[in-house]
Amino acid sequence: MISYWQAIVLGLLQGVSELFPISSLGHSVILAQLLGWNISANSNFFLTFLVGTHFATALVLLGFFWSDWVRIVKGLGRSLRDREIADPDARLAWLLIVATIPAGILGLALEHKLRSVFTSATSASIFLMLNGVMLYGAELLRRRAPVDEVGDADERIAERVGWPQAGAIGAAQSIALIPGFSRSGASMGGGLLVGLTNIDAARFAFLLATPIIFAAAILKLPDLLGSTGNGVRGQTLVGAICSAVTAYLAVRFLMRFFHTNRLTPFAIYCLIAGFVSLLYFVS
Amino acid sequence: MKRAITIAAVVLGVALIVVGIVYWVEPARSLPGFFPGEEAHSTTHHVKHGIAAFLVGLALLAFAWFYSAPKKSKPAA
Repeated sequence: MISYWQAIVLGLLQGVSELFPISSLGHSVILAQLLGWNISANSNFFLTFLVGTHFATALVLLGFFWSDWVRIVKGLGRSLRDREIADPDARLAWLLIVATIPAGILGLALEHKLRSVFTSATSASIFLMLNGVMLYGAELLRRRAPVDEVGDADERIAERVGWPQAGAIGAAQSIALIPGFSRSGASMGGGLLVGLTNIDAARFAFLLATPIIFAAAILKLPDLLGSTGNGVRGQTLVGAICSAVTAYLAVRFLMRFFHTNRLTPFAIYCLIAGFVSLLYFVS
Repeated sequence: MKRAITIAAVVLGVALIVVGIVYWVEPARSLPGFFPGEEAHSTTHHVKHGIAAFLVGLALLAFAWFYSAPKKSKPAA
């Protein structure tokens, strides 16, 4: 079971690490093991708890990018009415759909298998280091210099991301089913590889994360409301509130940070944190 | 050729949406034998299989909708 204290700590951690490219699930697994908590990433009560924190994070993202979503939904409606994808909002809407389909299908197919295989803190530490390598590699292979551009970010994303690239970025997100790899890290890295700047890659990653996190939370909502949620609903509510607060602060911080900064600090952090955790768990 | 691709996408899209609904409604033991996830005596519903089939079906219908749209002539400059 999970205590209220643990719910607060894990909720605060979840909100930050879901949006920072550092793997929320990996951090939850590693922290629980470091603190000697009897919480498995595969246990029913923890998965139920995650539903609440994910739902809170998705709500924060939806609220933060509300004006973008209004434009995107209107663009989607226009494209369906006119039977053509004529403007950047409509194109961005369909790019998000194209990216979400492989992410959703791979998530549905692989979630249980991957989570049940890679549940240990040792494997999460190794994958956290590999996440650092992935972030650093994306920075090395980026196609556009990290300059601060003027103009509409959504228009730039719609212009620079192609259909196959959107599908590939969406599919890359499913690597986050392995504790230690980051969903936002995979999509931000993918964004850099297709020619986006850091700030545009972060924006695309957050827009892309919203429907996926919402869908995953809604799919598991019956667990929270059913018998699996008995004894964990109060803790989930507390964790969700904590998660919402830190998720808001995280997205606000990152949307300023990436105007002038790169993924490199997160890559270095993942390499060091993963290495130190690995040493601790194998010694 | 364009017409044939559109028809194929619509037929496949509708079929996959129906498959998705069957997954949601029928337990694993009652699924047709050629459906992935069919298991004798199992009472579980393959909700995820259903969602995947439904989403791909919708995607195919969307593709057909745009693909079959009449070409709009651009206004002269």
